[in-house]
Amino acid sequence: MANASFYQSAGFDFSNDVRNQFLQDKGLPLPKATSTGTTIVGCLFKDGIVLGADTRATEGDIVADKNCEKIHYITDNIRCCGAGTAADTEFTTALISSNMELHALSTGRKPRVVTAMTMLKQMLFRYQGHIGAALVLGGVDSTGAHLFTIHPHGSTDKLPYVTMGSGSLAAMAVFESEWRPNMEKNDALRLVTAAISAGIFNDLGSGSNVDACVITATHTEMLRNFVKPNERAVKERNYKFRRGTTAWKMENIRSLVVDETVTLIAPPVGGDAMDTT
Amino acid sequence: MASADGGAYSYSLTVFSPSGKLVQIEHALATVSQGTTSLGIKASNGIVIATEKKSSSLLIDSSMLDKVSVICPNIGIVYSGMGPDFRVLVAKARKSAQAYWKIYGEYPPTKVLTQEIATVMQQATQSGGVRPYGVSLLVAGWDINRGPSLYQVDPSGSFWAWKASAIGKNMVNAKTFLEKRYNDDISLEDAIHTALLTLKEGFEGQMTEKTIEIGVVTVPTTAELEASKIGAETGRPKPTFRKLTEEEVRDYLAL
Amino acid sequence: MSIMEINGGSVIAMVGKECVAIACDLRLGNQALTIATNFEKIFPVTDRLYLGLPGLATDVATLRERFRFRVNMYTIKEEREITPETFARLVSSTLYEKRFGPYFVEPVIAGLSPVPSASGKPEKWEPFIAATDLIGCLNFAKDFVVAGTSSDKLFGVAEGLWEPDLEWEDLFETISQTLMNAVDRDAFSGWGGIVHIITPDKVITRTLKARMD
Repeated sequence: MANASFYQSAGFDFSNDVRNQFLQDKGLPLPKATSTGTTIVGCLFKDGIVLGADTRATEGDIVADKNCEKIHYITDNIRCCGAGTAADTEFTTALISSNMELHALSTGRKPRVVTAMTMLKQMLFRYQGHIGAALVLGGVDSTGAHLFTIHPHGSTDKLPYVTMGSGSLAAMAVFESEWRPNMEKNDALRLVTAAISAGIFNDLGSGSNVDACVITATHTEMLRNFVKPNERAVKERNYKFRRGTTAWKMENIRSLVVDETVTLIAPPVGGDAMDTT
Repeated sequence: MASADGGAYSYSLTVFSPSGKLVQIEHALATVSQGTTSLGIKASNGIVIATEKKSSSLLIDSSMLDKVSVICPNIGIVYSGMGPDFRVLVAKARKSAQAYWKIYGEYPPTKVLTQEIATVMQQATQSGGVRPYGVSLLVAGWDINRGPSLYQVDPSGSFWAWKASAIGKNMVNAKTFLEKRYNDDISLEDAIHTALLTLKEGFEGQMTEKTIEIGVVTVPTTAELEASKIGAETGRPKPTFRKLTEEEVRDYLAL
Repeated sequence: MSIMEINGGSVIAMVGKECVAIACDLRLGNQALTIATNFEKIFPVTDRLYLGLPGLATDVATLRERFRFRVNMYTIKEEREITPETFARLVSSTLYEKRFGPYFVEPVIAGLSPVPSASGKPEKWEPFIAATDLIGCLNFAKDFVVAGTSSDKLFGVAEGLWEPDLEWEDLFETISQTLMNAVDRDAFSGWGGIVHIITPDKVITRTLKARMD
């Protein structure tokens, strides 16, 4: 029977595991995967949810990406912020987004936030924490606005304001002092920006810009790079090298344009070339 | 001893007859031609697929029936033949579209998805212990390379691209009707009307929004294409296939 | 000593004005011993798309073949050339499949992606670069991406030298100087370099004259 997923077998492939174990046993550490040290937050307001995230991705002590996206799409009315191993947050949210779309098609209803939360926690629990995704899930559905945190081992919380990632303490300090029930949208957005900024400026794992996302019953507004407090200044001089600085030994030019020359052959003077006598 | 997959005792029911025919496939086609009529028309700026929705009893709640199905945001299909077989194929097609999305970050082109469904249907003509699917499908979709395209898939697993086609009970008459009505620069609006007129031929009973289902493919504008590129904030392209609501169908019928 | 340092090697890609450049060093080592100085780590995928694979040499060879296979299958099945964006997604999902037993490579993708036009034929090309970590986390950068044993140094030099809208001749100088100056401070990379500059109508490949120590 044709497998529905002809393109990829289901689940993970462990075929390199024996070799990799051997290399590790020789004392060679695994190269570092990109991680999002991250400050991610979410808070409830009068008409819905505001989610926020910074945009720094790190590889050990190196900033690997200065403007990455950490607010992932789940459905039109649900989004998910991710912290932890970057590839894990990316693929876990993509997988759940895909399953939510199938779920919506087969039920014919708008998907609910608890459904996404349950799918995520069941998946993360199944992998016993080996999938390093720490998530803030928020959205508005037929049952109202919901905000969850999901930890890498699969435990979840449902709270009116949440923070996660290495900058979670800085961000939570802001929430604890300023969050009020039933805030207006702009106040909530300001609070989220302040919380993320606290992470950006006080936590090494977080940095660059503030991304935000406002979800209400009728509309989802993704505010990519909502605030950019760390814009790079324009270089005062340019550092262009004079052409010809670099010595090279060999050059090969592959032309991607097919040259075509049309040579017109003039008709012979005095009419028809063919002898028709 | 019977093993889990049937083992040596499961004989395929699709065995060539001496005249070179696979009678089970022909019987499956007979099932299709007893099914309610469905049709598809490719217009210059989109595609329409439409079908008659007939329930065997007045007492059935027809809002439960779904004959035009969304597979992924850019592809929809309609069938003639056996409902349950269609349901299974829809589930497989949706899964296949999502599997493709998970690898390439985009939904499959219409042709690739059609090929996937056709492969599933072909497999049922050659495997042990199964029967062919009792449906023909019309697959309508839009993709960046081929634009709007319309395919028909039969129980044998063969598929073709069409400008306009009909399957099911009145397919011969409907196709003749479409041949007369079709031209290459028909607009989507005209195509929807032509689709309804074609269905009207040989329609038993009243044509209402409850007994007609319509799906349309629309061509996205350049601005919409830009918005769905990588790095854009939406994360998903705007759907190019959608089912018309009962209200919309009623409006088209009233015209 | 990490696994990336067994064979060594580095790759960098940069965006220019209607062009992209991708460059790598040529060293293949067995830990501290250099065993070859002609080990190219950049492979063509389509006419205007290149893939750089620094990392464990056995995985470089394996993945080069796997991607060649997958891209050929894609081209035949879909009757179209793979776009850089789609290829980046393919690289990413291929690596993540082995999340718990990864290939030790850090792919870099550089190419020009066609901008769809009314006529259907691409008349304009947009620069595209991306990199992933060893388990396929994509990084779409607007300026430059680096990978391999000298990635730290490449980051530093590129951050200083890169500027937007470089013509291909200037981009060649910038990427070459970035690569050579960075790998000169990396014991595991160097021994020559090769640069590919991809423009809409031609691909220029130059082998650099570099320190051989």
